[in-house]
Amino acid sequence: MVKKQDKEKEPSYDVFQHDLVPKHILLKPDEAKAALEHYHIRPFQLPYVKVSDPAARAIGAKPGDIIKVIRKSVTAGESDFFRYVVEEF
Amino acid sequence: MSVQTMEEAHKVIQGIRFTLLSPTDFRKLSAVEVQAADTYDEDGVPIVSGLMDGRLGTLEPRQKCKTCGNTASACPGHFGHIELAEPVVHVSFAKLTHRLLSITCRNCGRIMLSDEKIEKYRIRHADLKFRLNTIPDAFLDEIIKDAKKTQQCPHCGQKQYQIEHGKPTTFTELVKGEADAAPAPVRLTPSTVRERLERIPDDDLVLLGMDPKAARPEWAILQVMPVPPVSVRPSITLESGIRSEDDLTHKLVDIIRINQKLREALESGVPINIIQELHELLQYHVTTYFDNEVSGLPPARHRSGRALKTLCQRLKGKEGRFRGNLSGKRVDFSARTVVSPDPNLDINEVGVPLDVASRLTIPEKTTATNVEEMKRLIENGPDNYPGALYIVRPDGRRVRLEFVTDRKVVADAIQPGFVIERHLRDGDIVLFNRQPSLHRMSIMAHRVKVLPYKTFRLNPTVCPPYNADFDGDEMNLHVPQGEEARTEARLLMQVQDQILSPRYGGPIIGAIRDSLTTAFLLTQKTTLLNRDQVSKLLAAAGYDGPMLEPAVTRPEERWTGKQVFSVVIPLGFNFISKSNLSTYYKCQDCDRGVMHECPYDAFIVIKDGILERGVIDKASIGAEKSESLFHRIVKDYGAEEARRFLNSVTRLLDRFMILRGFTYAFDELNIPDATRDKIKKAIEKAEEKVNEYIESYRKATLERLPGQTLEESLELYIMNELSRARDVAGEYADQFFNMENSGVIMSRAGARGSTLNIAQMTASVGQQSIRGKRILRGYRGRALSFFKPGDAGAAARGFVYNCYRDGLDPIEFFFHAMGGREGLVDTAVRTQQSGYMQRRLINALEHLRVEYDGTVRDSRGNIIQVRYGEDGVDTAKSDHGKAVNIDRLVERVRLTMKKGVASSKDYVEDEVEKAREALSPLILNKLRSTLVNAKLPRGAVDEAVAEVIENYKRALVEPGEAAGIVSAQSIGEPGTQMTLRTFHFAGVREQNVTLGLPRLIEIVDARKIPSTPNMTVFLDAKHRTSREKAQEVATQLTHSTLGDIASSIESDITRMRIDVKLNPQAMRDREVSVQEVRDQVKPTGCEVKVEGYRMEIKSKDLEIPQFRRLANKLPSHHIKGIPAVKRVLVLEEKGEWMIRTEGSSLALALEVPGVDTTRTTSNNINETAVVLGIEAARNIIVREALGVLEEQGLDVDIRHVMLVADMMTSSGEVLQVGRHGVSGEKASTLAKAAFEITIPTIVDAAVKGITDQLRGVAENVIVGQQIPMGTGLIEVSMSMQRKGGK
Repeated sequence: MVKKQDKEKEPSYDVFQHDLVPKHILLKPDEAKAALEHYHIRPFQLPYVKVSDPAARAIGAKPGDIIKVIRKSVTAGESDFFRYVVEEF
Repeated sequence: MSVQTMEEAHKVIQGIRFTLLSPTDFRKLSAVEVQAADTYDEDGVPIVSGLMDGRLGTLEPRQKCKTCGNTASACPGHFGHIELAEPVVHVSFAKLTHRLLSITCRNCGRIMLSDEKIEKYRIRHADLKFRLNTIPDAFLDEIIKDAKKTQQCPHCGQKQYQIEHGKPTTFTELVKGEADAAPAPVRLTPSTVRERLERIPDDDLVLLGMDPKAARPEWAILQVMPVPPVSVRPSITLESGIRSEDDLTHKLVDIIRINQKLREALESGVPINIIQELHELLQYHVTTYFDNEVSGLPPARHRSGRALKTLCQRLKGKEGRFRGNLSGKRVDFSARTVVSPDPNLDINEVGVPLDVASRLTIPEKTTATNVEEMKRLIENGPDNYPGALYIVRPDGRRVRLEFVTDRKVVADAIQPGFVIERHLRDGDIVLFNRQPSLHRMSIMAHRVKVLPYKTFRLNPTVCPPYNADFDGDEMNLHVPQGEEARTEARLLMQVQDQILSPRYGGPIIGAIRDSLTTAFLLTQKTTLLNRDQVSKLLAAAGYDGPMLEPAVTRPEERWTGKQVFSVVIPLGFNFISKSNLSTYYKCQDCDRGVMHECPYDAFIVIKDGILERGVIDKASIGAEKSESLFHRIVKDYGAEEARRFLNSVTRLLDRFMILRGFTYAFDELNIPDATRDKIKKAIEKAEEKVNEYIESYRKATLERLPGQTLEESLELYIMNELSRARDVAGEYADQFFNMENSGVIMSRAGARGSTLNIAQMTASVGQQSIRGKRILRGYRGRALSFFKPGDAGAAARGFVYNCYRDGLDPIEFFFHAMGGREGLVDTAVRTQQSGYMQRRLINALEHLRVEYDGTVRDSRGNIIQVRYGEDGVDTAKSDHGKAVNIDRLVERVRLTMKKGVASSKDYVEDEVEKAREALSPLILNKLRSTLVNAKLPRGAVDEAVAEVIENYKRALVEPGEAAGIVSAQSIGEPGTQMTLRTFHFAGVREQNVTLGLPRLIEIVDARKIPSTPNMTVFLDAKHRTSREKAQEVATQLTHSTLGDIASSIESDITRMRIDVKLNPQAMRDREVSVQEVRDQVKPTGCEVKVEGYRMEIKSKDLEIPQFRRLANKLPSHHIKGIPAVKRVLVLEEKGEWMIRTEGSSLALALEVPGVDTTRTTSNNINETAVVLGIEAARNIIVREALGVLEEQGLDVDIRHVMLVADMMTSSGEVLQVGRHGVSGEKASTLAKAAFEITIPTIVDAAVKGITDQLRGVAENVIVGQQIPMGTGLIEVSMSMQRKGGK
């Protein structure tokens, strides 16, 4: 895993500045717990995001973390989404 | 009532577990050991211990089963077994067997990993199980790969050999003797394999993802064969009295016969090679018994040469057990016949022929109140309508009235509690369906109207949802038998409740064809009607008020058509809009918004239910038109009023059509000679122009279009010219026709036909094309032998000068037929492709459902969307995608509320702020800005805010909504309407972009590389201002090879050197400096010398083949730019310069200086996922899919596309909609098996001991249970009171 990260060059630009990439926020353990409790779920029931994902890497997420994504939405204006960070196989 | 029977306890299947059966289980389950390879003896009696032994169950109706004692209807059938003389490999498990053999020790059976490693993997295993709740296949593969590497068993030290899998069922071990000796292949017999598998300990199996309780690997080697009961393989007696056996029986006969021979051979000590031969033959028969389509084996054939259908073939495919008998079945209580229109029917009604109505029945319970009526029905019997077909007595006995001689007696015996299966009657609820059932409006509930003649009748406004016409279409009718089913159909499925399509949130039902023509004619300014006509029309519309005041009184009283039409518009209705007619006039007023005094009467004004101005046409009452008059009526007044409106409109218009009459005659295609001349001249002029182009092409003075060859450029110029000629000719014709012309009337009203159609009939048919090009196929260099080779003139390549009215000459006719054929092929191909896409979409999304907390989840409970459509709004309940139509709502409040002092901005903002919790941010902002501008008094503001909240709540999705299916249908259904046209010319400069259905399929397929990858490169502030600056960046992007910048590359093999002459012009164009060339061209083993624009590459130590390779590769040697980018296009859009590229490499493009890294995008989904992340990939999927649909003019709500995109990206990587992606990840074994990969899915489930929890849709359909969606989700639970309690 570590080897792979070395190989890939870090991009010179900020992915979050890109129009297509919504804001990603790494949730603190208590926030993550609150989110899970709100939906009465275990973490693996959330959509996944890989640790190797450029956006996840940019905020330094580790497997097991939960990321809150604040999407710009055509229908709602703004909308929250969650993703569970998983390792890659 | 005492006769009421208790309903039987409702049993629910909670799950189905898949396992392997052990030999012991087989023997335990067996009723007979089958020993004889025979079926029946000469008298037709089953042979004892034969394949048709009576103990295997019974087939004859009155015969009792020897095992269970039941008759055929109750006997489930019983398995028998065959004891195999030698074990045999099971084909379906051969791969698993091979895998296990290669990773376990040949001696001790342990998995070949050290204890530490096993422990490490075990911990990882438990950790994954805890964190992900599943073990990813990739992890298991990792273990297997690791174990395969080992050469020596870490547990017992035994040396290991490689095992080869000879497809389909042999295993060979490559035994290595001495170090350098060639390995000796040793064939492993199934018994050895079995012994080895037996040695694998349970714990090691668990590590491999197997469940040893469900499936010990040695059970995959068969010692005992099950013999299915006779009911699975019934023999049929032909008319000639010859018995014909089922394919399975034939195969079993073979197996038993060879098995016996093998046993005898073993017992009598026959030479080993004969035994081996027999064993192989047995293996062949057993293999083909399971699967007769194994690669590498010739399929077993019937005497006639037909391949046998054995077990796998019975399950697989469209007509297989899963798809053909379990997911869908033939049904009773249904009818099918041709459909025809009847505008006098209610939209909710369906006309049912008397013959059909007296064969279909509805069970009706006799009660004290209807007993007399029931008696009458019984007396009428099956043949006199209205009558009855059956009586079901309270004890469950059925009486067939057809066989009753004296029905009077039976009728008199009827008491409350009897169930009468009576004929269909007016008002009964039935389901009406037309295939292909592409969306939920393809099956709707109608009320029966029994009519004479032989066809089903329906109101023509209901054609669009069914996509029905009356050229011979047939439709199906189903009669729901249960009270719940009927109630549900009535409440949810009636036509009036399906007016608004969930695809785009607008009406899908509405006036079509003649109704539109008539509406247009009736509401024209010139239509004046006398008292007699008005009375007839009003009566038809169902108007029962006082006679209207005439609009004109002198010289005679006359009414306008608008007056009459106003009668059907609800009172108090206000509406302003453009008509369809307005699209034909390019007036500035319309664009400027000064439309109230439209000279063409093309602007509609309805005030308080009175049509004041404008003609009514497709834009107002047409089907599939959003934000129309009809749409407003459905939204504001509800389904009931909409139904009333549509009924009145169709009847009124039908009546007017009868009064007025309408025809389109040959005369109306006549155009005067003067116009004909003009048309002729226009075409002649175009032809001259074409010839000029050809001439300048010959002289090579033709300007080449960027990115095209000279030939292609010529074709483009000519095609452009000729299509313009046709348009001009059409315009001349159009100018001659006025609004009296029936063709014009129809096209303006949106009823049928277009200006183009009229032009083709009266002016010129125009260019015929194949694959978007002029016709050039047939002979070499020409389409037909009438032309000279290479003739590029208009006539030679399929331009049709004549119009349909004059008729085509033979050559034109032939070209026209060629073009026409392409159209037909296109349609046929398209329906197939879009049908398969639809099936995949449905299968991938069917189990998604909106939960009570507003999330969208799959059948495992995994969240796919945190909020449905991100705002929780149901498209079907929305106003063309918007939750609330705030403008209209505020306008209405303004009209109804008292006038007063405008409230302050602060007040409005405070009030709006209070609603923050209840509304989406988008609606909230819109409400705020609208109210601030509206300047309403306080009371009105409060009212508006309250109403917006109320309406928003009403537009939210309901829990249980089958969101996945609705979205899949909404994207799949318009697929058939898309063109197959692959290419599109973007803007002025041509660029090939795959569009239409192929592109949509590509998106849902999540192809690694799309067929036309491209990037839209935006530039930073410095570079976006001018073409020159943009060009600078463009040259950095474009891929330049040595071949591109060299004028010649010559290799001299005798002197082993290559001379390259560089082209200064090309280098300047591509902005490549000599230095750059020098830096880039450094082949190994060569010496490079550059002098000015001459380059010399000299070999130092290259061999000849290496030199040759170098010489060949040199022209494509990379010099500059991004290798993937083949071509760039610099263009200006919205006042800034930007670049479109052909070929895509986002990662590299974003690193190029001058590129705007915040807006530059690629249409390659997978690339976007890698470079910008999964969220960006999701956005690209939405954007690309929506773009394709929009470009095709198809209205699909973004929520549906978002759901598909979220589903495709929910695993963190982009998954395909199909068996290797989303569908392959489904929780249910049954659902997966029913989709595409039937056998491997079931095998895998058995090995892992998976239990199908039956939480999804497909699996519950298969087992015949209620599906957990919508109303099927609701359960009534009752708190049980203790006996002693109250």
